[in-house]
Formats: sequence, C-alpha cells, structure tokens
Amino acid sequence: MSLNNRDPLVVGGVIGDVLEQFTRSIDLRVTYGQREVTNGLDIRPSQILNKPRVEIGGDDLRNFYTLVMVDPDVPSPSNPHLREYLHWLVTDIPATTGTNFGNEIVSYENPRPTSGIHRIVLVLFRQLGRQTVYEPGWRPQFNTREFAALYNLGLPAAAVYFSCQRDNGCGGRRS
Amino acid sequence: MTQVTMEEVWKDINLASLHPHRQLNIDHEPVLSNQTPNKSIFQDFLNKPLNQEPPPSSSSTHHGSLLAPPATVISLNTHFIDTHFDESAMFGCFGKKRGQDSDDSRGDRRHNRMTKNRESAARSRARKQAYINELELEIVHLKKENARLKRQEEQLKMAEATQHQTKKILQRSWTSPF
Repeated sequence: MSLNNRDPLVVGGVIGDVLEQFTRSIDLRVTYGQREVTNGLDIRPSQILNKPRVEIGGDDLRNFYTLVMVDPDVPSPSNPHLREYLHWLVTDIPATTGTNFGNEIVSYENPRPTSGIHRIVLVLFRQLGRQTVYEPGWRPQFNTREFAALYNLGLPAAAVYFSCQRDNGCGGRRS
Repeated sequence: MTQVTMEEVWKDINLASLHPHRQLNIDHEPVLSNQTPNKSIFQDFLNKPLNQEPPPSSSSTHHGSLLAPPATVISLNTHFIDTHFDESAMFGCFGKKRGQDSDDSRGDRRHNRMTKNRESAARSRARKQAYINELELEIVHLKKENARLKRQEEQLKMAEATQHQTKKILQRSWTSPF
C-alpha cells in the first residue's frame, strides 16, 4: 500500500524527485506561527524566518524519529542542479513529541528562494533506535534517499511540502 | 534555385581563404538541416548549470574575421540570384560562421525557450492540481470530523436531557421579571 496517484505528494512531484513511494504511518503537523502547513500551500519567506513548530503523532515515547527539511528546486525549479538544499535536520525525536525534544544536527536555515517557485519538503523517518547521525559537510546537493539509506531509516513515515517564492514575485525569467 | 545550386555556388568561392572549420560546416550542411546534433547538445546543455558556455562553436572565434566573407558572398548573390533562396540552405552554408546572431540559432533558442516554457507550464499545472487535491482531502476530513462532533454533541444533549428527567424536583424554567 502506498500513496495513491492523486495524493498531493505524488502530483507535486515530491515522490520521484525527493522520495520513494511510501505509506503514511504517523501524524506530522508543521506550523509556522498560526498557519498549519498543508501540501502545496503558498508560504512566503517572510513567514518562515523562524523554525516551525513540529508535532509528531504515534503513541510510544520509545520510538525515535528523524526530521529532514529540504528544497529540491535549487537554485531554480527549471534548473535544479544543486538539488537538494538541506535546511534543517533533527534526530532522536520521541513519538508524541516534537522537534523541541530532538537533537538538532543541522540548524534551521530559513528558505530564501531567488528564482522560481520552490517546493520545500519536510520528511519524517522512523529510526531503528537512538542513533548517532553525523552532520553532512554542507547544505547543497544533499540527497535524502542516500541519507536514509546511510542511516537505515527505510521509507518515510510521513511527509509534507509547501510552495515558496520570493515575497515580491517569483523572480521570473532571468536571461 | 535549389539548395544544391547554392552549395555549388558556395564551393566556387575561394574556400582556401576561409578557416577550415567553415568547410566542415558546409560539408555537414544536410546534417544541420535535421538539427539532431543541436538537439542532443541542448539536452546536455539543459542538464548542466546554465552558466556554462556551450561547446564552443567555430563561430565564436571568428567574429573578427567575419567581416570580409559576407561582403564577398553578398556580391556573389547579386550575380546568381534570380529566384528566392531557400533560407535554410543559405544559412546552412554560413550559419555557423555567423554564430549566435543567425536565424539558425535564433530558431534553436526559440525551440529551447518553448521547451522550458512547456516544462514551466507543466510544473504550474502540477502545483495547482496538488494544492486542489490537498484541499479536497481536507474537506473530506473536516466533514467527517464535523459529523462526528455533531453526533457527540447530540449524545451529550440527550444525556443531559435524560438526566433532567430523573430529577423530580420542580425547577424554574422561565423567570419573570418580579
């Protein structure tokens, strides 16, 4: 069982560009201020300057989760040669809690897309146990699939994405 | 006049005075009209960072020396023109020589632009559809929750009503101002 092909994650291309097909197994709630992030929602950089509140579901505090936040459309969706840009990485998040209870391996860097309309994806992986995750050396050209393989995280447990473009217009065509 | 005639005309020109690369372009003129090599170049082109220069064509180094031959060609054309020249034949001959400001590459750029626009339009449609699908899912979810909460409210009301019935004491239900 996996996401059906009307699922926003599939239609928006997140499945394929960033993630493999998966089945949602836990609740993931991402909130910037008063706005809850729903798939494809248009959010401007000025609204995401600070890290969001992230609450995860589940029922057992002994299960730990990793949250990855990436932008696959860098530097622009028409030419994403720096895919993906790692914005945030938090590990050891106990189920039923949130990122405040986890281990911030890579600090939150607010997205500031310059060209085009970018997708910003938040993915939740279930860890096998508490584990040491080494921070990647740099943010650009991160690969969520490889990261998950490296740390045996398996398929995603949950994911959500939103659209982000410059506050005053999407930056349009440059050349 | 046909393309073949133009070829012959072109070959009549003293090719020794031209750079060897231009001769190659003329020999491969039929290939140019198919435009397949250009397409493969563009695919690679699009996969790389766009600030890279395309594989240097012979024309980029010859801007300085372009001044002389066109004058010669123009004078030739006035001798041999009596019908209209097929534009692709003409530019097949010295399109590469003139480089980026010829109709040949203008067509390529237009084609490239069309492809990019098509992709951008596809992304835009996908974005819109994904958001709509998300909203539809939310509606379903909210309707279910709403129905559930209404039922819950009904049950609570009924429970409260039955509770009142068990109390046999008189109570005020309507109060007068005095």
